[in-house]
Amino acid sequence: MPSKMKTCKDYRTAMTDAAAAAVEPSLELRSHLDACAPCRAAFGDELQLFAALDLGVRTAANAEVPASLLPRVRVQLNEQAIPRRSWIPAAAVVAAAVVLVATMLFARKFGRDKDPTNPAANSSARRISPARIQPAPPVVAHIEATNPQDPAAMNAHETRREPTRVYLAANTAGPRQVSVLVPSGQKDAVDKLLDALERGGAKTGALVAEKSEQLSQDLAVLPLAISSMEIEPLATVSEESAPGNETTRF
Amino acid sequence: MQELVLIQPGRAAEKEFAQEAAAAALRREFEERLAECGPLAYRVARGVLRNSADAEDVAQEALLRAYRRFERLRDRARFRGWLVRIAFRLAIDRVRSSRRREVRETLWSRTAPKPSTEDLAAASEFQGHLERAMEELPEKQRLVLLLAGMEGHSLEEVAEMLGLPMGTVKSRLFFARKQLAEKLRCHRK
Repeated sequence: MPSKMKTCKDYRTAMTDAAAAAVEPSLELRSHLDACAPCRAAFGDELQLFAALDLGVRTAANAEVPASLLPRVRVQLNEQAIPRRSWIPAAAVVAAAVVLVATMLFARKFGRDKDPTNPAANSSARRISPARIQPAPPVVAHIEATNPQDPAAMNAHETRREPTRVYLAANTAGPRQVSVLVPSGQKDAVDKLLDALERGGAKTGALVAEKSEQLSQDLAVLPLAISSMEIEPLATVSEESAPGNETTRF
Repeated sequence: MQELVLIQPGRAAEKEFAQEAAAAALRREFEERLAECGPLAYRVARGVLRNSADAEDVAQEALLRAYRRFERLRDRARFRGWLVRIAFRLAIDRVRSSRRREVRETLWSRTAPKPSTEDLAAASEFQGHLERAMEELPEKQRLVLLLAGMEGHSLEEVAEMLGLPMGTVKSRLFFARKQLAEKLRCHRK
């Protein structure tokens, strides 16, 4: 394979690289420069260019320092406070960030519970506080004393069948509290009942619920069936209950 | 009868004395470096800004910043490189902000800011082209070029100052010079 002859154009890059690196040209380049006058002149120009460039860089890099610099700096140093590492600003920033995040989280949680578009939910949230709930009779007792046809009683009856949510209500004037299980669908109605109790008078009519036939069947009481009784004279009984025989029949 | 009370310094006072003593020692240590490294900061800033007044401001700011953080510098032997980087970064920031300001000002005024007499005297045509070409260099190459161009700085010192391998310094210098030559070839007289 024949070696390709390098042209003057090919040596130009090598000349620039040699001048830029400020190193001696390679043997090959030197032999070409010895033989080629135009390239020798071009290399001379290249070296002049880099010499001018170095001079310019040195001029730019070695500017005379104004005499006023160091006195100015010393004055500023004297005016400055003693540099001490203080953790107070950093701690204050961290504390502020923690408070901010906690406030945001609290506001977010509170805002989720207190939806302005749902006043019923807001009122229940307010009413849940045990301290504000007046003593109320247990819901179970209320059901037993109520007419089964009463929708309020039906509603309360459901509370025993589908317990899904727990409300707190005071059973007595003491600190003891009773947990009442309330179905999720009846939350508003129970809220209204609690509200009525809180105001001093229980208004069962405030509870609204659909009457269900199934519930009526559940509440139906079968008549008491009494079977025929065998009557024996008392004398027989007294004989059987003699000393030594501990069995008693009624 | 006059009562004499012997005041014994408490722990707080002792702590304060110790702090003051440490601060004084720190100040002395910094002062020792100030005379040597102040010009270095100025020259780095001047090489970037091409303006004496701005360079002095930047050098002062760099030195004050270095003093404020001097206590945190663990290896004091690296102070020069650290200061060079602070000054270089501040100067670059100054150039960028002045360019933005220039753009804003030219919106309503076409008059360019007049260079100082010193700058006019220092700037020949070729020098002006060179310094403009230096501005266009990548920052890493420009810093190496400036430091290598400063009197008394060998390439080994530049490498040590910047915490770079010698080969990296040589490579950056080579490409910076080559790039400058490309740009200045047409302006050569």
